[in-house]
Amino acid sequence: MRKQSPVPTEFDQPFYDACNEERLVIQHCPACNRFQFPPRTMCPRCGASNLTWQQVSGRGRIQSRVVVYDSPVSALIPDQPFNVATIALEEEPDVIMLSHLPGVPVDAVPIGATVEVIFETTPATGQKVPEWRVVG
Amino acid sequence: MAFLISFDIDGTLEFGDPPGGITVEMVRRAQDLGFLIGSCSDRFPSAQKALWEARDIKVDFVAAKHMLPDIRARFVALKYLHIGDRDLDQQLAEKAGFEFLWDHEGVAEPWLAWLDAHAAE
Amino acid sequence: MPIPIAPHSWHRNREGLGIWEGRGKVVATGVGTSPTARRWDEKPETSLGALTILAIRRAIEDAGISPDEIDGIVLTPESTTGVSNDPNSPAPEGWSDVFKMVDYPQAGITRGDIDWLLLNMPELKNVQFKMNGPVCMSVAFTTAAEAVSRGLTGTCLVVRGWHNLAGRYYVGQGAAARDTASGPGKYGGIWGMPACATTAMIFEEYCNKYGKNHDMMAPFVVEERRNGLMNPDGFFTQHRPEMITVDDYLSGRWIAKPANIYDNDLPIQAALAVIFTTPELAKHHKQKPVYILNHAQTRPELQGAIPTLAEWERSSDKMGRMLYEGAGIGPEDLSFENMYDGFTLFHQFHVEGLRFASRGEKRGYALDLYQTDISIEGPNPVSPSGGNNGNGRTRWWHHRDSILQIQGRSPSQITRPAEYGVSGAHMPNFCDALIWGASVE
Repeated sequence: MRKQSPVPTEFDQPFYDACNEERLVIQHCPACNRFQFPPRTMCPRCGASNLTWQQVSGRGRIQSRVVVYDSPVSALIPDQPFNVATIALEEEPDVIMLSHLPGVPVDAVPIGATVEVIFETTPATGQKVPEWRVVG
Repeated sequence: MAFLISFDIDGTLEFGDPPGGITVEMVRRAQDLGFLIGSCSDRFPSAQKALWEARDIKVDFVAAKHMLPDIRARFVALKYLHIGDRDLDQQLAEKAGFEFLWDHEGVAEPWLAWLDAHAAE
Repeated sequence: MPIPIAPHSWHRNREGLGIWEGRGKVVATGVGTSPTARRWDEKPETSLGALTILAIRRAIEDAGISPDEIDGIVLTPESTTGVSNDPNSPAPEGWSDVFKMVDYPQAGITRGDIDWLLLNMPELKNVQFKMNGPVCMSVAFTTAAEAVSRGLTGTCLVVRGWHNLAGRYYVGQGAAARDTASGPGKYGGIWGMPACATTAMIFEEYCNKYGKNHDMMAPFVVEERRNGLMNPDGFFTQHRPEMITVDDYLSGRWIAKPANIYDNDLPIQAALAVIFTTPELAKHHKQKPVYILNHAQTRPELQGAIPTLAEWERSSDKMGRMLYEGAGIGPEDLSFENMYDGFTLFHQFHVEGLRFASRGEKRGYALDLYQTDISIEGPNPVSPSGGNNGNGRTRWWHHRDSILQIQGRSPSQITRPAEYGVSGAHMPNFCDALIWGASVE
């Protein structure tokens, strides 16, 4: 699918650089011992700004799904309808990422299935972004 | 065998919200010439019916706009046309096997030429 | 000088605070509502600013007081959740012939502004207290409640206007039309979810957990439209007096399945003003005073790209506990609930967090409740205002109706006595809510 290319900033460059190296790296708060995504300047729980970037396993579980029939994003309209699923990361299920679940037929998302991260190249700039495929 | 025209309402017909360029007179003219006409819109089907009745037009069908495939299945026609004002209208129309015209293209009533073309065949 | 917002300490956002110190010190009296429109036609007299001025004058008249008595204003400056103009975009031709202007041209057009109002409402000559209640009118209400209870203003207007510009709300415009994505939207937006999709995602999780389905929403949606069509000030009554049927709802086009088009509220133009004052000052107001018994706030935990069912349940449970603790009442005391509904699919999270009409159930019961009598005539009136789904998107119809219900003059008045009610907005994990009461007893 023709996703928009995210434009990294100085702040979230570590996340996007890692994506281009096909590694999933997200923020971790040492004080709370808690992961978070998307990147933020501080931990929303304790306010700490000394967050670290840590590579995670790239495994997760499909938590829920919708089927998008009317997307606001022009580039995706030709692909409608399409799946979007929430992925709960193995390390911390409250950390949620999104996925189009490439290869999964529309409306046939296996809730609870195990997934692993893959990386998809977005066409406008070549920036890679995390995607997920069902492995079991 | 007839031609079938489906109108979106909001942004397409003059009584839509926002109003579009297709007038009630254009719709009436098509109907008088034997076209099957109706609407496929995001308005409730019951509301669509009321909108047409308020203009004294007895339409052949009303449906939600994603039900265009059902309309095609219900009516046998030489051509199927949907007129709308959104990319989504175009996408739904083409997936359902309808030709598509943008609202501003419909103002010229290009369907009237179909009759002549058909008569000439 | 920039207009301040409430100090963080004014917001009641944790448990254990006890009865609210302002309980019994603040009441609502007059209510003024503008006419509605689907979109702005670019005429000054139908602008957000003009509608807001009209709503304020109606509220003052409704309370039966003089404009001289108004000494405070709390306003929500944001006036849309959709497309807006840059604050410095020029005003349309003729605007400055009708309205005096402040230092940016979009005041009164795509942004509410207290100084703009005061400049254009010379009758409000005694306003000393000015504060913004950002993002949602719920915040303006809780801010005004604190301000009155703390003696910072005696008779205070609470105000919010909404604009809706021509064109489609989000679709294929601005950032959504580009082939790159910047800003916070890039982390989730590139997956192309429409606004209702987060709610739909969590609703789906809810249905999977509790064995429910989207069809079970139909009685709620139909009842809301029925209630909304009783309101002469509502958008649908004024412009599309069309009743929705169960079949209409169930045949609705999917936007993000399981959310269909009728699960989305319709953006409109409208304005509301309400008078907050003290019980003492309210004695000469024309309308019955409605007590604010407590208010509370929740905010997101922000751990993932979107929230989870678990977060929404935790957060709305906490909201229920905080509200009851500070108000000194329990769920069994509520005569009605008027929580936000735009999107319809999250209304039940608020209902369950409040344990409204619970028979001991904690979670997973609201869609079953919807299959019972939830009408204004029944024992458990759900969203008697008709909400935003039944009246158009403002995020304030439910607050307005809570006041009118307790005053006994709602156009969709519940049959049972309206003694205590609750209203709040917007999301189950991002909410400001109030308990309203006929008395403090």
